[in-house]
Formats: sequence, C-alpha cells, structure tokens
Amino acid sequence: MLSPIWIPAVCALMRFWFRYRIDDVAAARRKYQEIRRTHQGPLLICANHLTMIDSAVIAWALGSAWWYLWHFSAVPWNMPERNNFAASLAARMLAYIMKCLPVVRGGPRADVTNTLNAFIAIVAGGEAGLLFPEGGRSREGRVDIDATAYGVGRVVRELPGCRVLCVYLRGARQDTFSDVPARGDRFYVNLRLIAPTTTATGLRGDREVARRIVQELVDMERQYFDGR
Amino acid sequence: MERTEVQQKVVAILTPYVKNQDALATLTPETSILEDLKVNSARLVDVVLAFEDEFGIEVADDEVDAVATVGDAVNLICSKL
Repeated sequence: MLSPIWIPAVCALMRFWFRYRIDDVAAARRKYQEIRRTHQGPLLICANHLTMIDSAVIAWALGSAWWYLWHFSAVPWNMPERNNFAASLAARMLAYIMKCLPVVRGGPRADVTNTLNAFIAIVAGGEAGLLFPEGGRSREGRVDIDATAYGVGRVVRELPGCRVLCVYLRGARQDTFSDVPARGDRFYVNLRLIAPTTTATGLRGDREVARRIVQELVDMERQYFDGR
Repeated sequence: MERTEVQQKVVAILTPYVKNQDALATLTPETSILEDLKVNSARLVDVVLAFEDEFGIEVADDEVDAVATVGDAVNLICSKL
C-alpha cells in the first residue's frame, strides 16, 4: 500500500542524491523482466556484497520505480542484518514495509532458521528474494568462496524448481567494502540465471549448492576484472 | 567409544575454526561454540559435516540448531554412536 511512496523515493535518492548510474541498465532490466515473465517457479537473486545498500542498488538495477509499482512481487525481499537496519521497533516496521526480514547474523540458530523459513515461504509464494551468499560484505573486496553461508543452499533446496539469478554488481570506484558506494559512482552489472542442483542431501547438499552459486559469482567477478 | 575420546575428537575438529584461543585453552562442556570459541556461524556446517565424516554418523538440519556448546556436540554424537 505504501509502495507508491517508498519505491520512487528510494529510486530518486539513488538517482538524484547519490547520483548513481548503472551501465546498460536497460539491458539488465529487460533481462530481469523476461525472467520474471517466463520463469514460473521460485526465483532467488544471489549477489556479491560490498556495501550496506547493495540490495537497494540491485533492485534499482533490475527494475524502474514505475515498473515495480505494477510488479510489486518483483521487488526482492531480503534479509538485512538486524543490528544495522532494524534495531528499533519503528525501524523493524519500516524494514518490513520495504520487504526486509531482519536477521541477526551469527545469532541464535533457531531465530535464524525461523527467519529463513519465513523467507522460503515468501519466495515459494512467487515473490522475488535476494540473498548475499557470502553472508556479509566481502572484507577483501572480492567474492570470497570460503565465506559462503550455506543457508542459501538450504533455501534453494527447499524450493522445488527454484532458479537462481546471480547478480554481480560493482561500482567503478568500489575498491573494497564500504558502508555506501561513493557519490556519483557508475555501476557495472551482470546477470546469469542458473539452476544449481545436487544429489547430496542435508547439510552436504546445502553446502554444495551454496558453493556452486558463489563459484558463479567468482567467475562473474573474474569476467569483470578481465574486461577492465 | 568413550565420551572423553569423543570430546577430544570434537575439540580437534573445532580447533581450526576457533578464533578465541583463550577459550579453547580453558574449554569445558559448557563452552559455547559460537559465543566463547568465536567459531564463525557460517562454518558451523563445516564442523558438523566433519563430525559426520569422523564418527560415521548423519546429523539432520534441525539437530544442528540444538548444538550450542561443546557438550551439546558431544551429547549429539554419543547419542548416534
């Protein structure tokens, strides 16, 4: 109900206050729209993670404010760190309105599991979901396969027919991790749709799927740096 | 397998993931794996999979949720041996 207010506001903030630009944004948006139109099953977006507002920039890269107003389910849900984005009740309510399920990373496993289950149910219902499979921002400024959080593997394995849209996004001035990208930065964005599967079960299956996704991001990062 | 032997193997498996060496030196069954030993929560799955390989057991997802301390891990493993 509040989406006509906050979606244009967030987009305007990035466009006019931060003066961000995304290279080939039309192509990225066309690809995302096509995926949303043609893929009927659950869709999980997995991205590299360098700043605290990556989820907003990624959403903006994948769709315009106008398009999202008519395709609200395409605005990805995500699971931000509760201590950063939802420390107070008011912040938690605002986060929920903006399609966030706050989670305490490294917190009690039962709490993390409950939030993950809620996230899985939402994505199973046709909403787009966004997770950062490295768990937190890449401290070395590069995708770190050793930092893989296996929860993403569990999400994929519990969603039959789930496709994973790998998104590699990086500002030209983003040398390492930071709170927000530099004002006026230009972003490179690349999308790859994959269907990670495994014959392994349980935790081993979660690990295999999660590592497959992060390996894709590693390859996309290599492509980015090779092309510079 | 004796419980003490299980605990020794558990500690050996945990050691490479431990960031707080002081807590490791004074380890008890009540020592929290995440809060005291400062094992990265994302690595807990690797630890549990190492338990599976070492002891020839299988651990379900929800059983992992119940492992908070070194003693919890030892109890879980002993219950499956």
